[in-house]
Amino acid sequence: MKTLEYITLPWDVLGLGALWLILMAFFVALPCSQMGSFLILRRMALTGDAISHSVFPGVVIAFFITGDLASPWLIVGAGLAGLASTVIIELIHKWTRVKQDAATGISFTALFALGVVLMELLLGKNVDLDLECVLHGRLGLLLEEDRVLLFGSLVPMPVLVMAGVAVFTMLLLGLFFRVMMLSSFDADLAASYGYRPAVIHYGMMFVVSFIVVAAFQAVGAILVIALLILPGAAAYLCTYRLKVMLAIAALHALISAVGGLYLHVWFNSNMAASVVVCGGVLFLLAWLLGPVDGVVWKWFKDEPPALEESSDKVGNR
Amino acid sequence: MKPADEIALETHDLTVTYHKRPVLYGIDVAVPSGSLVGIVGPNGAGKSTFIKSVMGVVPSSGGWVKVFGKPMRENLPRVGYVPQRESVDWDFPVTVMDVALMGTYGGLGLLRRPGKVEKRRASEALEKVGMLPYSNRQIGNLSGGQQQRVFLARALAQDSDLYLMDEPFVGVDAATEAAIVTLLREMRERGKTVMVVHHDLQSAGEYFDHLLLLNMRLVAFGAVKDVYTPELLQKTYGGRLTILSEVADQAAKL
Amino acid sequence: MFEDVSFLASMIDLLIPGSGSGKAIMAAVLLGASCGLLGCFVVLRRVALMGDAVSHAVLPGVVAGLIYSAERSPGVIFLFAAAAGLLGACLVRLMMFSTRLKSDAALGIVLATFFAFGIMWQSRNQQDTVGVMNFLFGNIGSIDASDLRMMLVTTLILVVTMFFLRRPLLMMSFDEGFSRGLGYPVKILNGVFYFLLTFSVVVALQAVGVVLVSAMLITPAAAAYLLTDRFERMLILSVVFGVASGISGGLVSAEVNGLPTGPVIALSATLLFGIIYLLAPRHGVLSKVARTLRRGMRVRRENTLKAIYQIHEGEGFAHEEVSVLMLARKRGQTEEKVNKDCKALLSRGFIEMAEDGVSLHLSRLGWKRAMEIVRNHRLWELYLTNEADYAEDHVHEDAEKIEHILEPGIVRQLEQHLDFPELDPHGKPIPQPAHLVTQSSVVPS
Repeated sequence: MKTLEYITLPWDVLGLGALWLILMAFFVALPCSQMGSFLILRRMALTGDAISHSVFPGVVIAFFITGDLASPWLIVGAGLAGLASTVIIELIHKWTRVKQDAATGISFTALFALGVVLMELLLGKNVDLDLECVLHGRLGLLLEEDRVLLFGSLVPMPVLVMAGVAVFTMLLLGLFFRVMMLSSFDADLAASYGYRPAVIHYGMMFVVSFIVVAAFQAVGAILVIALLILPGAAAYLCTYRLKVMLAIAALHALISAVGGLYLHVWFNSNMAASVVVCGGVLFLLAWLLGPVDGVVWKWFKDEPPALEESSDKVGNR
Repeated sequence: MKPADEIALETHDLTVTYHKRPVLYGIDVAVPSGSLVGIVGPNGAGKSTFIKSVMGVVPSSGGWVKVFGKPMRENLPRVGYVPQRESVDWDFPVTVMDVALMGTYGGLGLLRRPGKVEKRRASEALEKVGMLPYSNRQIGNLSGGQQQRVFLARALAQDSDLYLMDEPFVGVDAATEAAIVTLLREMRERGKTVMVVHHDLQSAGEYFDHLLLLNMRLVAFGAVKDVYTPELLQKTYGGRLTILSEVADQAAKL
Repeated sequence: MFEDVSFLASMIDLLIPGSGSGKAIMAAVLLGASCGLLGCFVVLRRVALMGDAVSHAVLPGVVAGLIYSAERSPGVIFLFAAAAGLLGACLVRLMMFSTRLKSDAALGIVLATFFAFGIMWQSRNQQDTVGVMNFLFGNIGSIDASDLRMMLVTTLILVVTMFFLRRPLLMMSFDEGFSRGLGYPVKILNGVFYFLLTFSVVVALQAVGVVLVSAMLITPAAAAYLLTDRFERMLILSVVFGVASGISGGLVSAEVNGLPTGPVIALSATLLFGIIYLLAPRHGVLSKVARTLRRGMRVRRENTLKAIYQIHEGEGFAHEEVSVLMLARKRGQTEEKVNKDCKALLSRGFIEMAEDGVSLHLSRLGWKRAMEIVRNHRLWELYLTNEADYAEDHVHEDAEKIEHILEPGIVRQLEQHLDFPELDPHGKPIPQPAHLVTQSSVVPS
């Protein structure tokens, strides 16, 4: 095959479907990338992991009752399961000497295991929600989903739903950007302004759970964490500005969506995993070549900026 | 202008327990407006806890706090708080200007964006501490003294009447220390009330006009000439109340 | 040399049971032993999430092993998996070392990217989905003799290394800086630790699966941590819990068709943890609640005794008896409640009730205890005002709490410190129960 054929291949094979796949992957990755950036800044990256695992039993039970993967009750179920995991973590580490990290580990593995067992027991061999879906997501099945007519073209339903989620998240971010930045940077000062740290914390956790549930069907329970962390982490290595960081994270989401589609078509591999792998490669690039923290620059420059900074800090402590 | 004898900060029986362990016992203090107060005491005396509980950042388990005659919650905009420099992540991707702007957030409510007025206030504040040339720098690239100046600029941008500062002199160079002292005096000249947690007893006598001697309880509060006495300082630093801390340990174990 | 190896191999073969359930139990034992041992360090070093990251990171190795070894030799799979896990652990360290990223982000990146890479690779080679599923969610039934041999060897290496290195490893978990000061090669030990961690993950792979291995690393060890303060015991208990949840999980999942083993094992480990969480003798929740309740009841009794004393004091110790009604008024509580309190005091011999049932008097024991409490209260008030410069009107609240927890040793210190005082800051006399010889002598003349 010629180079050009590699580039046009997805469009030749999927036609307009390629666009829908890219859009879907982007709309899933975009809200994740924005909230995930804040998770990284708040050092809560693994909370995202815990949430994505622990909402699972809630989704299973809600799906068992409603029988519909698009039902809003799934969000309610997921929210309750997420709440349960928070309560379990608190119960363990407030009442005993088991520390927070182990308590988190106990809580989310238990809930995830419960989810898998419930799924096997309640749903049996269900076509919509099975172990494959938990691992791989249903992104690859997008083109087989129901479609609605919009502006003269048939748009797959999930794309519209995810677009709504993405727009909602961006709106929230636009409204509360300042509040989230201040409380992430200096929680004490934020509290002295009368912002309630607990309200902000749980509000953000709620939004993250909401996004995780929405993204869950597309990419599965475990790959969500990648979409949450990778864009923000890559962007963090590229800039010193929060707004720029968020923009780069969004760009990362877009490139992973496009690149993921190509990997998917070239290698005939699972689409969701391909998006994540592409995001991983981008992160690797940022790690090596990122303008701020790139390892390569540190090696080649006479006076690497980051090293200067760290030695300065040591001197001050 | 406010009357000079107005009380800027009044606490009554302010008590803080942390994990069931008493950290501050019944603090009664009334700070007159326009004074420059140093809060001094040994390590673990609850100096930071005192201002944090005044700010409501740490919940108090008893007593009340009034600022200019009103409960704290109703007078928040008149109070500026400068947390310890180490309490934030200096790798955070914000610039010097962003940090200074944060000082204006308190007056903006939850949703309004900072506009021209806020930006001008932030620039002026940065100018005053000599950090305006750095306003586009990432905060992680600053020295300790510069970071502290940025924090002070943020406080200036708050434009409050009462300031509570947590250890602003820690880890700064001599030049910055002198600059901060000048700045604090200037603020007092303009009628501000400033309370500063300070760890160095030597300089406390010359930097401030009032001292608040603290060691889990209020030892003394008053003008420097009245309380900067060997007996009171001995009481604050010397006689560590072994029984008190032993019993506090026991209370925490329950 | 070769003979030695084959001799060892045949020795190992002797250990491997023939029946299917025998194999499953053997696998559970190995799983419990390796994860239980390593888990203790994972919990104590607070690197629970590192375990999670390493366990997810082995997936591409498993997939590579399944693809590149035609006969699915467990040795090859284990080797690839261990290599992937170690690579993941190294990358986490490298990332934290060379960038501003914090540990949580580094762990999350490695966990998710490795896992996604594994899934992508596997989805490209659809032919072996079942094989990969066994490694993802565990299937203890699929473990055959050659798998077991591999698990056995790995576990043996792990246990022997742990046995020789347990002291330095424990030292390092407790205080890394200090052990560096002692001259331990901390870097090498850390490497060994992550090496062993990866090994334990690999041993557990086929039984529990990649996704939930970290449950086996964390939950049994955390349960053991609640039961004992001794490290050796914690190791043993953790292994026992791991084995127990492995066996019970394996049995249950064999009973129910199509249920993957991993989640069931994880759930049974959680169940065990839950039981211990509630019932553990010292660190369990129920015992803590019981302690709090008992303390509350004691404080109530002591407050009632104090009230009786204060009534007597108010009357200048003129009367022998105190009526329940007076006591209720003094305590500001209903008569029924006070009656209940009195019963509690009566059963402990602190008071004696008059025959009419409405008045009571303190027994000798009761006088002693009541005076102790009142003395504690007043001594503490005096201490706070005299030594700690408290305002007089601030000391009562604190003394109300402290009076119940002052130990005799501290009371003696207080007395010496205050030079055996007789009056409290409010001018009330401090009773001296030590001088209590006869009941009449308590009445100050």
